[in-house]
Amino acid sequence: MRHLGAIAGRELRSYFVSPMAYAVLAVFSLLAGFFLVMQVLSFNAAIAYLEQTQQLETLDRFNLNEVVVYGYYHVIWIVLLLLVPGLTMGLFSNEKANGTEELLLTSPITIWELVLGKYLAAGAMVTLLIAVVAGFIGILFAYGDPEPLQTAAGLLGLWLLALTYAAIGAFTSSMTPSPLVAFVFSVLVLLMLFFLGFAVDVGMGAQAGGAGADGLLENLRWISSDGHFDELTRGLVDTRSLAYFGFMIGVFLLLTKASVESVRWR
Amino acid sequence: MIEAQGISKRYGDFVAVDNLSFEAEAGDVVGFLGPNGAGKTTTMRILTGFMPATDGTAVIGGYDIHEAPLDARRAVGYLPESPPVYPEMDVRGYLVYVSKLKDVPRAKRREAVDRAMERCGLTEVHRRPIGALSKGYRQRVGIAQAIVHEPRVLILDEPTVGLDPNQILEIRELLARLARSDEGGTARTIVLSTHILAEVDAICRRVILIRDGRKVLDQPLEQIRSEQGSLEQAFARLTLGAEAPPAASLTASGSEDGE
Ligand SMILES: Nc1ncnc2c1ncn2[C@@H]1O[C@H](COP(=O)(O)OP(=O)(O)OP(=O)(O)O)[C@@H](O)[C@H]1O
Ligand SMILES: [Mg+2]
Repeated sequence: MRHLGAIAGRELRSYFVSPMAYAVLAVFSLLAGFFLVMQVLSFNAAIAYLEQTQQLETLDRFNLNEVVVYGYYHVIWIVLLLLVPGLTMGLFSNEKANGTEELLLTSPITIWELVLGKYLAAGAMVTLLIAVVAGFIGILFAYGDPEPLQTAAGLLGLWLLALTYAAIGAFTSSMTPSPLVAFVFSVLVLLMLFFLGFAVDVGMGAQAGGAGADGLLENLRWISSDGHFDELTRGLVDTRSLAYFGFMIGVFLLLTKASVESVRWR
Repeated sequence: MIEAQGISKRYGDFVAVDNLSFEAEAGDVVGFLGPNGAGKTTTMRILTGFMPATDGTAVIGGYDIHEAPLDARRAVGYLPESPPVYPEMDVRGYLVYVSKLKDVPRAKRREAVDRAMERCGLTEVHRRPIGALSKGYRQRVGIAQAIVHEPRVLILDEPTVGLDPNQILEIRELLARLARSDEGGTARTIVLSTHILAEVDAICRRVILIRDGRKVLDQPLEQIRSEQGSLEQAFARLTLGAEAPPAASLTASGSEDGE
């Protein structure tokens, strides 16, 4: 693994000479800030309304964590789903397009060094995105008093989600010499994963009167990231959800490795 | 240095390289010739470890390309058909990166990069982004990355494509020096493909000619000249079939635009 640093370092530097990384960072910061303001404003409006109409019981249950932070994290989820593929689309496709794949595959490095080095760089970039979210959330602590642990668990959830998306993006990037195709393809995969959760919920709802949850539906539900992420945003740090993200990252990095290597077998 | 042992490469049913064997020693400069689609690039990609052979193997610098791929690759410098460069990197940064990939020890990297740039006439442009260089300069960067780690074996796929006449002469001289022992201590083995037969005449000692993936000629240049008249005539006779056309027409069309 001694080439890891060289590969990750080159990748990171190439992020910051291309306008793409700046564009993704700027758009992300803008959206993250905008949605936070929206969340807070609608929260304030709702509180004012509840006070006015003397719904004290509801007002009691209406807190910063449940409404603002939880809702905010779910909006950021969608933003990540659309922007992380922008960060990963060039990882391998650019090497194919440049012809530098030939340099890499004829150098005394292993495919794992290549895949992990690139993933490390992409991981650093998505960590930067999550740091932006953490910064905005920090502002909330000045404004009110969100529950620190639940807030942190949710951030962890976002980070794991983004890392999972980066692994999926790395995989799609390894399948095509076109970054654009890689981008579209990974957004499609991520959307499928996203809607899988809802589809399963609907399926389960339809079955609810019957014999209970079907094994297949349970499995599909597990594969979809929704439930695991949701648990984390509620402050439940369960090893099962952590294992889920680890599993997904592992599977997609393995697929990426196989895909990069497949040039050799074609 | 290079021992190719019955290399074959099949793409589905298509045989791109067919049971190719040859040897090359330190100090050899081998011209690897053949018409378009003969399998030159494919063979080079196998020798450099880009992809495995379907059958057969090769031993490079004492290492089997399939059994000890990393050691074999470390011993080779490779210039692919199109120079494998990152347009956004500057020349120096790129060569430093390649020297890391090729396991040049940290303490020797700077010196190695400086020497490669000097040899390829890149010192003046060392801070320019490669994407902003002319085609010929990009080709020089491609050659520089192939030699930066002082490999004992150099495999160059059409190294002088896109270079100006002066630079072609310089690169030819550089290759001749690299092959002898006076540049960097040890003699190297160089295999280069080209469509410019004059280039082979100028620097190669030996010629391997392939056609449809099969070796049809493997002789020292002197022997070819004495037995077949000239390289042009041998090339035409062996790649076009029994009747040799006027050699001049072939060299005229074969000397430019390999692709
Ligand atoms: N990935 C591939 N799939 C199928 N066939 C391929 C593939 N790569 C190369 N070939 C075929 O293998 C044959 C040999 O190609 P190769 O590139 O080795 O020729 P070459 O001798 O380098 O030709 P040139 O002088 O044009 O560079 C060609 O017929 C080519 O079409
Ligand atoms: Mg070729």
